[in-house]
Amino acid sequence: MARDPIVLADQARAGNQAAGARLIRMLEEGEEGALQGLRALLPASGKAHLLGITGPPGAGKSTLVDRIVSEFRRRERRVGVIAVDPSSPFSGGAILGDRVRMQTHATDPGVFIRSMATRGQLGGLARTSFEAASVLDAMGYDVVVIETVGVGQDEVDVVELAQTTAVVSIPGMGDGIQSIKAGILEIGDIFVVNKADLPGADRVVRQLTAMLHLRDSAAGGWEPRIVKTEAERARGIAELVDGFEAHHQHLAATGDLQRKAVQRRERVFYDVLRERAAARVLAATPGGGKEILASLRSGRLDPYEAVDSLLGTQKELE
Amino acid sequence: MGERKIRVLLAKLGLDSHTVGVTVIAQSLRDAGMEVIYTGLRQTPDMVVQAAIQEDVDVIGISSLSGAQMQHIPKVLERLREEEIDDKLVIVGGVIPDEDGEALKAAGVDQIFTMGAHTGEIAAFIREWWDQGDR
Amino acid sequence: MSTAPREPLGSDEFEEPKPSESTPSSPESAALDAAETTWRREVLDPALAKQGERQESFVTQQMHWPVKDLYTPKDLEEIGFDYHEDVGFPGQYPYTRGTTPAGYRQDLWKMLQVTGFGTANDSAERWSKMLEQGLNGFIIEYDLPTTNGYDSDHPLAEGEVARAGTAIDTLADMEQALDLPWDKLQHLNSVCNAPQPVNLAMILAALEKRGIEPSSFTLQMSNAILIEYTCVGRYIYPPKHGLRIATDCIEYTIRNHPNWIPITVVSAQLYAARANPVQELAFGFSIAMEYLDATLARGFDIDEVAPYWSFVTGLEMDFFEAVSKLRAYRKIWARLMKERYGAKRHESMQLKLISSPGTTGLTLQQPLNNIARLGIQTLACALGGGAYAITTPLHDEAHALPSEEAVRVGIAVQNIVAHETGVADTVDPLAGSYLVESMTRKMEDEVFAEIERVDAMGGALAAIEAGYFQKELARSQRDRHREIEDGARKQIGVNHLVQDGEKRTIEMFKLGQQAEELQVEQLVRVRAERDEDLVAKTLERVREAAIGDENLVPPIMEAVKAYATQGEICDVMRDVFGVYHPDSLTSGV
Repeated sequence: MARDPIVLADQARAGNQAAGARLIRMLEEGEEGALQGLRALLPASGKAHLLGITGPPGAGKSTLVDRIVSEFRRRERRVGVIAVDPSSPFSGGAILGDRVRMQTHATDPGVFIRSMATRGQLGGLARTSFEAASVLDAMGYDVVVIETVGVGQDEVDVVELAQTTAVVSIPGMGDGIQSIKAGILEIGDIFVVNKADLPGADRVVRQLTAMLHLRDSAAGGWEPRIVKTEAERARGIAELVDGFEAHHQHLAATGDLQRKAVQRRERVFYDVLRERAAARVLAATPGGGKEILASLRSGRLDPYEAVDSLLGTQKELE
Repeated sequence: MGERKIRVLLAKLGLDSHTVGVTVIAQSLRDAGMEVIYTGLRQTPDMVVQAAIQEDVDVIGISSLSGAQMQHIPKVLERLREEEIDDKLVIVGGVIPDEDGEALKAAGVDQIFTMGAHTGEIAAFIREWWDQGDR
Repeated sequence: MSTAPREPLGSDEFEEPKPSESTPSSPESAALDAAETTWRREVLDPALAKQGERQESFVTQQMHWPVKDLYTPKDLEEIGFDYHEDVGFPGQYPYTRGTTPAGYRQDLWKMLQVTGFGTANDSAERWSKMLEQGLNGFIIEYDLPTTNGYDSDHPLAEGEVARAGTAIDTLADMEQALDLPWDKLQHLNSVCNAPQPVNLAMILAALEKRGIEPSSFTLQMSNAILIEYTCVGRYIYPPKHGLRIATDCIEYTIRNHPNWIPITVVSAQLYAARANPVQELAFGFSIAMEYLDATLARGFDIDEVAPYWSFVTGLEMDFFEAVSKLRAYRKIWARLMKERYGAKRHESMQLKLISSPGTTGLTLQQPLNNIARLGIQTLACALGGGAYAITTPLHDEAHALPSEEAVRVGIAVQNIVAHETGVADTVDPLAGSYLVESMTRKMEDEVFAEIERVDAMGGALAAIEAGYFQKELARSQRDRHREIEDGARKQIGVNHLVQDGEKRTIEMFKLGQQAEELQVEQLVRVRAERDEDLVAKTLERVREAAIGDENLVPPIMEAVKAYATQGEICDVMRDVFGVYHPDSLTSGV
């Protein structure tokens, strides 16, 4: 396969899955030129509906995503999926098993599923999830679903990436919705009560309603929806997808879509700036900053001193 | 900064549901620092190839214990060639009679690991192949 | 449900005061202590001074429990061993010494043979031959399409038809498979978990067609769908629906064929998935109780149903772990039934157990060594007692499907243990062994502790849905593999006494080229000849029953008799229940 990012970008835009996949891989691994390929795709991106699915482990997210994909396919949308699983902190390896639950779509050319490992990234996503989503967007997938790790942490990163964020909970997880952190409650656009056939589902709905009532909502703002589903039996899925589409239309109508895009651009700008600036500073430091790092590790410098020292050194060099 | 990771697809084809081997291998490759994409049971050759494309894996590992390897694996190889992604390392593990092993190798499988193979051997084999190529 | 009176270590509310070394409870004990101290000082230590022990530490093979150099009456004293409470007499609570009063003096275990491959005709021929050879029962294994609820012409079935067992698509196949010498057959075991109601309906309909009285033999069903979710993988529907159809079969059988066995908890499968003995028993019993609770909810009394519960266990090479496991197996079941469920009948508390040597302990390398292993495992089965049947071990099982020679040797191994060793001539010969009784108790305590962990999760179904069993087993699989690979655990021919350049030949049972074609031809023929309207009508009834909560066996029987295929019947239920895709087996490990 070609390794020229521009060629890959062209092929990906024409719908070649292998080329798109290779570009995502190059981005993920920070290969030289990968960003060139991405930039070549950017003009073609920005059309997809970016949908984030988050929620605690055991909430049935993968099965839910599988059913959501089916429903979008029924509506003749092409769907990309980015499923994030954690990397092992010990070996750096990972077992990515989300495809297991999405077998229905394994040979559907209108569906592209990419598993990603967090590779040390916190916040529920992989470092290059956004870039991967942009590639899928440019490849013409109408909807890109991003499923977060779901380790029950505050996985709020997805909100900055996605246009619509769905928070999944199920009955019987501790005390109702305790498992949903307050922060997540603030950011969800759609709240899914999955496994709604279990006892206590209505109670979760009531609790959510009460808590969402406390949420500030400006006049004309989006009223968060609560949808009951039984993903396993594909119940409530059409209603859920209606909700996604309604939210998307709402964003478009209010100009929020545009605002979110700007926010996202800014976020990416800062992320990339931070990353590259750090790389540059280290590169410009004699020995790549190894001495300072050694002092940091041995405890002779605290992290703040270490940065001061690093930036100070560089200044002197200039 | 990105980091290069070996990506491995592990698949079970057909109705063979013996997962002990594939579970052990998945964990040992993970522990060797690789990213393992596990597809689950009941895969068809098309499903495996589609997953290999979308996940851009370097290695495809197929576990077969039911005896139906000659039915499925040559089809996977054929599909890989059709899609022009036959540069991937293809390894097969499980209960593979010698004559089937020979036939599979002739058809393009890179290595066979029969039951009882050391898991470290498999990781090392992949690593060695990886280090040799310009990946 | 009452709590067990003897809690595992940690909650000692009910524990009797433990005698310890410093406060010997009796003059005899004090004397023993003194004697042992003297022996260690004057006899053992000088001997070890010349040459130390051959290992730094000794632990059991699977549990890694420390093994002491010597077990004495003191060990029994320390666990508060009470002959009547812990062991008792054969045929009496808590059945540690066996569920029947006379053990193998009265009746040797039944010698079962797992088998079945090819088309239904091939299988019937082979089974008939085995019955003539002196076996009195056998286990029918079906091929993968059958056990996964697909017809032989389903795309996924390709290459698997009639391979790992008999292919059954329609009643016509079952009629052929059951063409057997019924006068010799006492026991038939059918292993077809996910589509169990279809399988049961087919057997019943075939018996009816052949004019065989169902009460003339015992049909034992594995009906082991919860184990399939845990570690085997031949499931179709989501777990709670799997449990429902299993319960339908149990209820139907108990009400209509009371001499049959509608449920078998095959903990041997957990074992083959590398469960250690504590996991095997704890997960197995938790699963058994999940079925039991579901059945009790159908309006039965515990003593009406508990006697039907039966188990299949597997054995490993650690001899004393194996013997202790078998003894604890009986005792724990008895205690669970009595203490938790308030069972009154002896039959409820008497464990029905099939032991299964082989599987995980065998090696691919130097296959003849496996005959020795099987002999030892079969001996452990006999000494552990209480199994009413032992499956015939096959030394080439690790390779593939068994050869005829392996079957012959396997039957011989069973007979050698039964007739040449004398171990079957007295009941529970190892009772009272300081080591065996200590280990049996430890097994019992740890199993109860693990059962309580599963209880806290909400029982076996919840544990399966949460992936708990699966993840625990994945961990065990990895650890076990590592032990062998790094040599911490010796396996002859694998990491010890390895034969350099040993050529491992794996031979698999070769299907006649036409088996699959013949099977598909028969399927096509049956489909062409049947009354399609009747098929559609009966399938619709199956759908209604599945949607509601009526027992599925009778409507499925109507569909079977109309020659609906098992794939069609399963598809109707797939439609209603959904199809199960589990969490990745290994993520989160």
